Amino acid sequence: MGLRWFHFAAWGLFALGLALLPELVSKGTLRTLIFANYLAIFAISWDLLSGRTGYISFGHPFLIGIGAYTSAILTKRFGVEVEIAIPIAVIVTMIAGLIVLLPALRIRGSYFALVTLAFMELMYQLVQVIRPDLTGGTRGMSGIQTLTRGAVNGFYLSSVLMFVIAVAAWLLLRTRIGTALTALGLNESAVEGSGLSTTKLKMFAFMASAFVAGLGGAFYVHYLGSIAPRALFDINFVFTIIVAVLIGGASTIVGPIIGAFFLTFLLEYLRPFLPGAERYFIYGGIALLLYMYQPKGIYAMVMKAWHSLHERATK
Amino acid sequence: MKYAKGLGLSLAVSLLASTALAEIKVGFIGSLSSDTGLSTLRGAEMAIQELNAAGGVLGQQIALVTADTGEDVTEGVKAYEYLAETEEVDFIISGSIDDVSLGWLPRMQEYQIPTLDTWTSYIGIIDMVIEDPETMAPYFMNIASDEALATLYISFGADVLKAKMGWESVVILAEDTAFGGAITGLVTDALGPVAGIEVKDIITYDINTVDFGPIFSKAKATGADFIYQVSSVNPQVISSQYVKLQVPMPMTGVNVAALGMEYWEDTGGAGGGISTLSPVPSVGFDLDPVSAQFVADYQAKYSTRPSMPHFNGFNAYHGLKQAMAAASEAGGFQDVKAWNAAMLKQDLKLEKDGKLWLRYGFWQHGEVEPVTGRTYPQNGLFDLSPPYEDAQPSMVVIQWKEDGTVGVVYPFEYANTELELPSWIKN
Amino acid sequence: MLQILIQGMLLSGLYALIAVGFTLIFSVGRTLNLAYGAYLMLGGYLYFWASQSLGVPKSLAVLMAMAFGVVLGILKFRLIVKPLKGDHIAVEISTLILAVVLQAGVILIFGDSSKILLPIVGGVIYVAGAPVTYNMLIATLASWTILLSLYLFIRRTDIGRAMQAVSMDTKGAAICGIEPDRVNLITWALSGGLGALGGVFFASYTQLAPSMWVGPLIISVAVVIVGGIGSIIGTLIVAHIVGFMEVIVVSVLAPELRGVFTMGLIILVLVLRPQGLFGREEL
Repeated sequence: MGLRWFHFAAWGLFALGLALLPELVSKGTLRTLIFANYLAIFAISWDLLSGRTGYISFGHPFLIGIGAYTSAILTKRFGVEVEIAIPIAVIVTMIAGLIVLLPALRIRGSYFALVTLAFMELMYQLVQVIRPDLTGGTRGMSGIQTLTRGAVNGFYLSSVLMFVIAVAAWLLLRTRIGTALTALGLNESAVEGSGLSTTKLKMFAFMASAFVAGLGGAFYVHYLGSIAPRALFDINFVFTIIVAVLIGGASTIVGPIIGAFFLTFLLEYLRPFLPGAERYFIYGGIALLLYMYQPKGIYAMVMKAWHSLHERATK
Repeated sequence: MKYAKGLGLSLAVSLLASTALAEIKVGFIGSLSSDTGLSTLRGAEMAIQELNAAGGVLGQQIALVTADTGEDVTEGVKAYEYLAETEEVDFIISGSIDDVSLGWLPRMQEYQIPTLDTWTSYIGIIDMVIEDPETMAPYFMNIASDEALATLYISFGADVLKAKMGWESVVILAEDTAFGGAITGLVTDALGPVAGIEVKDIITYDINTVDFGPIFSKAKATGADFIYQVSSVNPQVISSQYVKLQVPMPMTGVNVAALGMEYWEDTGGAGGGISTLSPVPSVGFDLDPVSAQFVADYQAKYSTRPSMPHFNGFNAYHGLKQAMAAASEAGGFQDVKAWNAAMLKQDLKLEKDGKLWLRYGFWQHGEVEPVTGRTYPQNGLFDLSPPYEDAQPSMVVIQWKEDGTVGVVYPFEYANTELELPSWIKN
Repeated sequence: MLQILIQGMLLSGLYALIAVGFTLIFSVGRTLNLAYGAYLMLGGYLYFWASQSLGVPKSLAVLMAMAFGVVLGILKFRLIVKPLKGDHIAVEISTLILAVVLQAGVILIFGDSSKILLPIVGGVIYVAGAPVTYNMLIATLASWTILLSLYLFIRRTDIGRAMQAVSMDTKGAAICGIEPDRVNLITWALSGGLGALGGVFFASYTQLAPSMWVGPLIISVAVVIVGGIGSIIGTLIVAHIVGFMEVIVVSVLAPELRGVFTMGLIILVLVLRPQGLFGREEL
């Protein structure tokens, strides 16, 4: 795996930093951090599937939404305990991931992106039409059981969740599976030629991604306490997830976390200066420029700077 | 360096300013780019301006901060958190739309900040107040709930559609689950027995439908006398296509876009012939002197759209003053129970020509409305039966005429014009 | 029956008009222009501003909208597509970001209340119980005319043949002395103009709203996926499949399932025949 001491040190520092934050920043900032944490989880989920393999998902909210809706409906409508509802939601999300996988076995590139988009739109339509008594229809549901109260608790819960997922995903991508997934993105037929089963690999990537999406979605809805189709199955949500990954740096796991924090804080810190619609305009504009001129992301920029420093130091 | 110093200084000054003057902080949550959101915001601004000019509340000046939702549910949650934990406001006034309000409600329950909703009319929220009065104590909604709107529509059906127009059957066009199964069900069940209007069919349509031609053809094929359209947020397409296709069948219902003066401009005049339910006061609604003065002041102050506040602008203006009066009585907003009790007692009666015209008050807990037989605690007062001596009706029906004028057609006590068929419909 | 036929033809005509610009980029540039819906939106808004706010004659306003679309297409190619050097996924993602930015821009300028476009050509007749607006009739005729002339343009003119060549094999075309950049530029300009025109008709049928770019984009996506990498005629046929399916679902089955069926069709075709009904076997 090529783990080195500084890897442990970096993750340890990150954990320490997260643990100390509530002492250092205001509650309002903590609230923003919670959203950043959840966005980071969704971005990691996207990165697991799309970052390396080249299978760009435009419909990731499909998976997140299924996790969120399943847990919300189970707890709110059927009185299921949250401890049971969340694992069920994760399983349901993974089954949904399998369904998307079927067409994905045959198509790639832009077509794959489109079919995932179609799945998301389909879900948006279905949630409103089929059994609105369960889903709450167009308006969604409110008063869903929350796991925590207060900014600090919510922050710790989301941070632990994000941290565990991030470390697990990061370790995963450092194994041979990670290498194989990268190869899948670079040249699918070559991977096939080397005797690895691309189907199994793809399935693995899908399942891992769906697992994280379902878990994140379920915890997210029990943080928000409410759910609406427009909040989840929305192209703006896709936009935020993808941009978080790309601005941070795809296929690195660390990058999406950076991207998620950057985007969430950018939007929140623009609020006092640009209260209205200008905010989204500037925010989108910055995202576009960053992506156009730094397609490898902030992570790559930082690593480059680090390496050049390192070189200078060793010279 | 000089710049940094200046920045530091101004930062220090602003810090001083915010700590030196004790003030009451009001947060606005809603869209800053929609007529709906701006109506509430400006209503609140004007109330605050007047209160401050009169010396403030509890000896403190009132300050207003805004948090834009962009009508996005998740942004709504963030906006509420921002007001609660970054701005630490004392009171929140909301111009949010339905799903956005539902989105931040769990936050309100957690923070327990007194909050007044001026646009959302979702009965589901009032049901939450009934089920959980404890955590919903800070929440007030000073617009008649949609269920009460629908109930008065049944009377409109009996008094106008059946008695005057002679229509005996209806086909309902419902947008997805807009007002929820309960409201559509209420209209469907009550129209027959109460108004004597037979419901031929209910056609549910997809909100993104491009061509309503087939749907209108389907409605026509039912042989019903008129169409009742039930939609919530995005009804412009169906009503404009109704006009463009010159559907040879009368149509009435709910068209949120038609509630503002800009409707005529936005539709390029293609909105003639459309009638809609509207909470009061709406466009075309005769105003009492107090409301008229509010509109005059509003127009003197703001030059951009909406040129006349929507109903929620009035709600915000009076509602904010009432919330402050309640705070004076309760010694501030901190004691939510005391504020809630004081807010429930608020009662503003506006008269026009000696008749009670508008009333801004709230239903009490356990107070049963005689027509529907249910309670509406912390919901704005309304009256469902003529001659509307207890409060204003829960809604009026307004109609945009083909010459661009607009007026109220029902209830008769408030009417200033009559329901007309669009010119393309032959009797 | 006749009613379904008429309404199906009209809706399909509109859909073909909306989708053709999108197909064009997808065939020639091999990339999805996710900001395509924004051409429609901006075209519609420009027309609204010119004709309903400034009082410019309608036909001139349509031309202005188209010219604006052409400029947008060129700008997009110059500023986004070209710097990204043919990285399809990068283009797709940046056009998605662009669409979201443009949506915010429209809210800034026009606010977010929806607006109604007056029909470009007013009036309505009833044929077999189906209301037919002249506006829709014109849209359908325009759609047929544009698709046919585009077909001829691609088959008969040098530029068209160059576009075809680039569509089949960019490198091969370059070897034959065709400048792919120039061809791409023309394609993006053309697509922008067609998109804006489609947008004026689409908006004159539905409404103008800052989020209106998603709907037509999905229709275009449906047409491209079901049809496969686009021949012009394929677009025309598939627009009719999608349009007729919608009218039949709405008139005979359940109107609320309109969108569900369209999405179902997309997914089904992708699973069973990923290259599309008329596409080439290359993915």
